[in-house]
Amino acid sequence: MPDAKTVCPYCGTGCSMRLITKGNQIVEVEADRESPVNEGNLCLKGYFGFHHVASPARLTTPMMRREDGRFAPAGWDAALDVVARKLADIKRESGPDAIVIFSTARSTNEENYVTQKFARAVLGTNNVDHCARLCHAPTTSGLEMTLGAGAMTNTIGELSRHSDVIFICGSNTAECHPIVASHVIKAKARGAKLIVADPRKNEMVKHADLWLGVPIGHDIPLLNAMMHVIIKEGLHKADFIREHTDGFDDLARAVANYPPERVSQMTGIPAEDLVKAGRWYANAGAASTLYAMGVTQFTCGTGNVVSIANLAVITGQIGRPGAGVCPLRGQNNIQGAGDLGAVPNEFPGCYKVTDDAARARFEKAWNSPLSSKIGLRLTEVPAAILDGKVRAVICDGENPMLTDPSTRHFARAVEKLDLLMVTDIFLSETARRAHVVLPACGWGGRKGTFINTERRVQRVRAAVRARGETKAAWWIFRSLSERLGFDGMRYRSPEDVWNEVRTVVPEQWGGVSYARLDKEPGVCHPCPTEDHPGTPILHVGGRFATPSGRAQLKPVLFDPVEVPESERKAFASPIVGHIAERPDADYPFIFTTGRVAAHYHTGNMTRRSPVLEQIAPEALFELNPEDARDLGLRDGEYIRVTTRRGSVVSKAWVTGRVSPKLVFGTFHYWETPANELTNSENLDPYCFIPEFKISAARVVKITPAEAQASVEAQRRYFRQDVEAAAIIAENAYLQSHGDAA
Amino acid sequence: MNRFVIADWEKCIGCNTCMAGCVDVHERAGLAAYPRLHVTRLENATMPLQCRNCDDAPCEKVCPVRAITFEDRSVQLNESVCIGCKLCALVCPFGAITPHGTKPRGEESLAYGHVLRVGPPMPQGEESPLYGTYPLMLPEPDLRPDAVHPLLQWLIGERTVAVKCDLCHWRPQGPECVRVCPTDALRLVDEDNVTELIEKRRVQTFHDHPAGG
Ligand code: SF4
Ligand code: SF4
Ligand code: SF4
Repeated sequence: MPDAKTVCPYCGTGCSMRLITKGNQIVEVEADRESPVNEGNLCLKGYFGFHHVASPARLTTPMMRREDGRFAPAGWDAALDVVARKLADIKRESGPDAIVIFSTARSTNEENYVTQKFARAVLGTNNVDHCARLCHAPTTSGLEMTLGAGAMTNTIGELSRHSDVIFICGSNTAECHPIVASHVIKAKARGAKLIVADPRKNEMVKHADLWLGVPIGHDIPLLNAMMHVIIKEGLHKADFIREHTDGFDDLARAVANYPPERVSQMTGIPAEDLVKAGRWYANAGAASTLYAMGVTQFTCGTGNVVSIANLAVITGQIGRPGAGVCPLRGQNNIQGAGDLGAVPNEFPGCYKVTDDAARARFEKAWNSPLSSKIGLRLTEVPAAILDGKVRAVICDGENPMLTDPSTRHFARAVEKLDLLMVTDIFLSETARRAHVVLPACGWGGRKGTFINTERRVQRVRAAVRARGETKAAWWIFRSLSERLGFDGMRYRSPEDVWNEVRTVVPEQWGGVSYARLDKEPGVCHPCPTEDHPGTPILHVGGRFATPSGRAQLKPVLFDPVEVPESERKAFASPIVGHIAERPDADYPFIFTTGRVAAHYHTGNMTRRSPVLEQIAPEALFELNPEDARDLGLRDGEYIRVTTRRGSVVSKAWVTGRVSPKLVFGTFHYWETPANELTNSENLDPYCFIPEFKISAARVVKITPAEAQASVEAQRRYFRQDVEAAAIIAENAYLQSHGDAA
Repeated sequence: MNRFVIADWEKCIGCNTCMAGCVDVHERAGLAAYPRLHVTRLENATMPLQCRNCDDAPCEKVCPVRAITFEDRSVQLNESVCIGCKLCALVCPFGAITPHGTKPRGEESLAYGHVLRVGPPMPQGEESPLYGTYPLMLPEPDLRPDAVHPLLQWLIGERTVAVKCDLCHWRPQGPECVRVCPTDALRLVDEDNVTELIEKRRVQTFHDHPAGG
């Protein structure tokens, strides 16, 4: 096939690239010089993360679990018949809400649209969710509540061209969004100031003009202190606030309680640094805040995001080039998956399922009655399975066995299911527990569109022929819908699906045709008509996307233990934050998680690239030299980290990047599955995200032999199904020979 | 004057793209698949370090088999001639040479098997089809005892050769690390750059301290 221009399958930056092929294999990746996002650059995942496409371990044929528990290859018809029959039975016996679909931010808009339509129109349930629940759910809840739209307000390129102050709060930008970081570096060269608030001295801190070493989870007091300074010194924009916002008085009263001196005591950040940060931000010609998981993965994630929005609004740092609120989305199409309705409470275009008018519109479009009951969130599913309320899970390309917090809890739940259908490109840890495994047509062979973090809709093109019998999710759901007697899904191509999206939600995507995307480097939605230029900047001129058109400021209160009743009672409906699991005598450390640049999530794709695997072959948990001394530990020796939920082993990197009593680890490696440690019990009350970022932990030193034994144990746990692997290998062998013939 | 690649820590974000690019380009050229520059992280700054292509190179002096030579305004190391004595690594003042094991053929197919291999699946069952059994995933304790020094650590069966930056000398587009770095933190320094810089600094010095003070 000819070389293809497409979009990187990893982070939400959405870098544009050209795949160079030889025969039916991708051999090289070139950066797109015309792209306004990446301007001819890529990070190492973009350049070298393509090897998984040709991996012989790819799933190429449907498989069903036999009586004896082993997998056997099956034809598409047989597999889909079984799934359709089971779904129909379960729906008849237990109702549609006994079925849950996990969609995925990894797949295209078209696939997400069809997936949620299948759940809603074919099955009749709103039980559809995806991994945003575990990353940027607070962005949706927090920004919708305040600004009216849960998305990045500006484009990435504005950082390097227009921002005078860039405030990074809880984003490890250099490792997780390297190309966004490259715009920050360009901004710095232009003279912009950089403020970084992070508990770790990560790579961006090294470039910061001001580092606020905020203890993990204490972003609300930090942001309140900045606003305190701004309001006290009269640096807020009174006119803008009067004309375009509601709720300023309550907010001002709330932040009055957070003078820099008090917050300094609470956080250890020098008071003068808090003052400086407030002044720099407010006085900037254009200031942008970048944030990510370091703000969202808390029980007060929504509160953190609301505080960031409060800060931007009262200083008028929004709705102008280079001034805005920038949630950096972690996955290639997480913006798209949410916007296309793969969430339990919203239809495509962010219309609430509880809104009668919205429901009527989609009932008409899909010609099917729709449920008004908000569906189960991903994080509620394991408990619902254990309660017997959920009997079937359809999991499209997610790997909750490794990514969901407290994974062993999830594993117990999965065993109780009557039907677990997994669609994936590899036999993931989750797929290995499924009844039916379907081979997905992954990136490289897939067509459609992704939406990056700045709401840019971009074409995804195929560079190689689909492997074996792999199919795209839209095809799978179309085929299931036919078997279930629904005929509203007669799509022949992703373009058919997209054109339906354009007619159903024209105010968002009406003007974004495939033909237009072929000519332009993507279009930022909303874009209602073909002649509309798209909307790179939201909330221009203080016209917010809320029902009233005014930004809604909200008081946000915080105390690590509990906000006192007296402070709480002073406000009508304050958002209140605290830390769910604090360290104590038994678990004196704080364990927190994150990524490295070379790998992506559970490594199912990046760990198949020999280059990336060579750069980062194993987990390195960061530990402060003081703690290492106490443990008698040298750099490169092994530690065991234990929390109330589990225990994992890793090599230690002794480094001042982390403060004493803080351990940082990645969740990329099955050998060191960090999510066995994380906390799934405490959820944000607004958006149900778990508190991934803080777990109280114990750390002990272990010998290399003990470390090796632990890896062996993990191997048995995660890779137990030798039989399944052998079948895959066999398929792969036949496949590669079939291909050659 | 010899040319060399150098990084600017004010731009480097420590993303390791340069190291990955280096591995890839050398592997494609049939040379040791090992990064020739190393992103080095101190508490307050990060940047890759690599060979300075010294004009009076100590590594060239100590090499007993003349594997290291001056060529085309650079210091080149012939991996086929190298006997793996590691002397150059010991004398290089910048830590720019890493002895690295070249895997025997059988093992090489394990390492990169899932990409390049054509043929029946590996017999070990579960391991190979999944993550292609990357042998460096964790050191096996019995194979890798605590070495006296990391320089002297290798796996049985490997032939160790000295590996260092060769400026990707065969590539018309120049060093791959410079090309792939997303923040333009790396550049190739040659005589022209240096002359230009020196001139500029002279003018600057004159400007700042006209009295020479
Ligand atoms: S920054 Fe993100 S989108 Fe760009 S190349 Fe890297 S992983 Fe891909
Ligand atoms: S390897 Fe070291 S000693 Fe040899 S030329 Fe390079 S920097 Fe100089
Ligand atoms: S590619 Fe550039 S920014 Fe990344 S580590 Fe190398 S020198 Fe630094």
